[in-house]
Amino acid sequence: MVFNSLTFVMFFVVVLALHSMPFKWTTKKVNLLVASYLFYAAWNPPFIILLWISTVVDWYAAQKLVHAEKPAARRAWMLLSVVANLGMLSYFKYGHFLLENFSLLMSHIGVAYQAPQFDIILPVGISFYTFATMSYTLDIYLRRAEPAKNFLDYALFVTFFPHLVAGPIMRPTELVPQFVEPRKATPEMLRFGLALIVLGMFQKIVLADSFLASAAEMVYDGRGAPGALDAWIATLAFSGQIFCDFAGYSTTAIGVAMCLGFAMPDNFRFPYAAVGFSDFWRRWHITLSTWLRDYLYIPLGGNRHGEARLYLALVLTMLLGGLWHGASWTFVVWGALHGTYLVIERLLRRQFGGYQPGAFTLFLFGLLTFALVNIAWVFFRAKTFGKAWQILTGMFGAADKAAPILPTMQLVTVALIIAGIVFAHWQLRNRTLESAVAKVHPIVIAVVLAFMAFAIVIAQGDSNAFIYFQF
Amino acid sequence: MNLQTDRPGFIRLTASDRPGMAQPVPERDIPARPWGIILLIATIMFVILVAAWEHYWRDYGATPSYQNSKGAWADQRRRIDQGEGNTLVLIGSSRVLFGLQLPVWEKAGGERPIQLSLEGTTPLLAVEDLANDANFNGRLVIGVAPDLFFSGFAYRGDVVAQYHTQSPSQRVGYWLSKHLLEPYFAFYDPDFALDTVVKRQAWPPRPGVRGFMPVRKLMVADANRNAHMWSKVENDPVYQNMAQRIWAQRFAGPPPPMMDTPEKMQALVSKQIGRAADAIAKLRKRGVQVVFIRMPSAGDYYAFEQKAFPRATTWDVLLQKTNTPGIHFEDYPQLQGYTLPEWSHLSHAEADRFTAAVVPIVQQIFAGAPKQ
Repeated sequence: MVFNSLTFVMFFVVVLALHSMPFKWTTKKVNLLVASYLFYAAWNPPFIILLWISTVVDWYAAQKLVHAEKPAARRAWMLLSVVANLGMLSYFKYGHFLLENFSLLMSHIGVAYQAPQFDIILPVGISFYTFATMSYTLDIYLRRAEPAKNFLDYALFVTFFPHLVAGPIMRPTELVPQFVEPRKATPEMLRFGLALIVLGMFQKIVLADSFLASAAEMVYDGRGAPGALDAWIATLAFSGQIFCDFAGYSTTAIGVAMCLGFAMPDNFRFPYAAVGFSDFWRRWHITLSTWLRDYLYIPLGGNRHGEARLYLALVLTMLLGGLWHGASWTFVVWGALHGTYLVIERLLRRQFGGYQPGAFTLFLFGLLTFALVNIAWVFFRAKTFGKAWQILTGMFGAADKAAPILPTMQLVTVALIIAGIVFAHWQLRNRTLESAVAKVHPIVIAVVLAFMAFAIVIAQGDSNAFIYFQF
Repeated sequence: MNLQTDRPGFIRLTASDRPGMAQPVPERDIPARPWGIILLIATIMFVILVAAWEHYWRDYGATPSYQNSKGAWADQRRRIDQGEGNTLVLIGSSRVLFGLQLPVWEKAGGERPIQLSLEGTTPLLAVEDLANDANFNGRLVIGVAPDLFFSGFAYRGDVVAQYHTQSPSQRVGYWLSKHLLEPYFAFYDPDFALDTVVKRQAWPPRPGVRGFMPVRKLMVADANRNAHMWSKVENDPVYQNMAQRIWAQRFAGPPPPMMDTPEKMQALVSKQIGRAADAIAKLRKRGVQVVFIRMPSAGDYYAFEQKAFPRATTWDVLLQKTNTPGIHFEDYPQLQGYTLPEWSHLSHAEADRFTAAVVPIVQQIFAGAPKQ
């Protein structure tokens, strides 16, 4: 089920009530586990089997890995986990993509190959829980984590519903220890958790779905060629939409977990105030970027084997990061662009290592980063390279037969919301939300919360799935 | 775990600050604020704001009504797959949706049909869906609104597809909405949603962008998708005039690209008739009886239909190619002379009267039509 649905509201009330009852800690954990399976099965019950397979394979592999004495055996159990997880992910997420490209490749070399037609439905959240379970085996293999004391704690780590389908992607060392001792939210945690849920839902339902999505759709999914204004506004709208959608989900997940007494990590740190791309990736989808860094970039050599190897590792990591988002070459190009940005930034930093920009220059660099991030978003949002090219030529004022597309209302609301988001990110770029809220008068907080909750209700929404569920 | 606000430039560390190592249990801060009082004040304000919003829309003329949602359609569609496959089913666009009244039909015809019409949408999607469903063996009344039927336009085309992929969560959500929100809140209507309200403010027009007013709320529905015209459309001349102006946008502009030449138009119409013929052939194999119905229209809308979709090249061809009986309002004196406040739909009272008049005709056709 999605957070922004009546079903989830009722589900959460029941889970919260059960978790507040004077049951044994083990009973509470079983309740949470069953609730998490229900949460997942509410989309498509059969897919729960995949979740179980992923859970059991990694539990078994990790147990064997711990007790294996020879390095080769440890490595073999680790590889079993990786192959099983990536195999499942590849089949469901990349099956079509691989077959299509294989057919294309065959036709280029003169072999007529017709790929078999079969429908593969992407199980929701598979990319997220696959990475979570893999991190369990990999951390144990790398001796960073101890195995969970029992299967219940481990299964709950994989399945815990706040992070199950769209993260934050949690590491075993972040969550498993929280299941060891009884946890219950204090009244303050419950209240602040509810406030975070309101903030997250406001971002998703009001900003992303009600005011930003349609401007992006009109230009990206329409047939007309946009001019510079329409292309930029639509791309800015998408950049706001994807942030509000995903950060809204993460904020809600953190709030939901907090109401139950658990802590989840930040997934975003005001990314549109980033200066440079290494800074951006320390602020955007942190749990994915750090997962890729720790389990892909560093094993590929990281910065330990010279410049050339570093750049190769960087670009390869970003390419695979792009592919993680979707089985399409447009996502690969998005990843490649970010990889290129990171390489260029690194070269520039080496060239101008001692340069310390002033506040205004820093802001200009921030805007440049934001603009380049938006250019990359074009490939993320466009369904085809043709459309991406049309939007890019529009953005640079070179569109052929461009005609106005967006009405005044869309131009104004998108501009205001994006300006508001960028302003807020710059205000908070060196702080946490909590540190800022701690300085606001309680009445102001109450009024803001009331208006956000009111806007959520009157926006009505349509239980639209979060964008990242498809990844 | 209270926040140390005296740390200037405080940033909570994340995994991005700890490369290549075990990540500890996350640290979460709670701002030192009186959260109990804050939530109490916020809740009171929230209740006041929602009450004011509800009052505003009730004052505007809205009353609590059931949403014509995907869930509501799926709920009725499911009846066919759960033992009611022999029932009479109505599939059309909005004219059938709130022009044919189920209670009146039940009283006059002895059975209450299942209403599967979708506003702004060709009925062919739902007809094709039933044609492919062996559970359906009943009778079918298919509404023909010329500009939708013969263009294949499907404003709500995703509704039919979603029935087959509806998740348990969506079904529960629909049930909760139907029982906890829709019967009580007048503002809970897509036409009163925040973004819709913002969009229809008097924004300055942007040169080059055609300002197309979307269709406004025209109907209210009950829990089983029996719908009728909203009283505001019937009684408020300003609103009624606006509804007419919204329709009139279609009459004035150039035709859409897929029908901007006579050849394209003919191809499109033929394609829709072909779809209908294929679906009806499948239905007939299972013994399903079908009748088309052309509901009344009036004023400029009727004139537009006469011009863009003349009967001789659309309706008459449809009946002939599908070998199916049809009820055209122009052919029956008892189906003429009704009040259509905004040219396209019958008023509530007139829908009652029209339904009572049309039921015997439908029954007569079904009784006379030979079973295949």
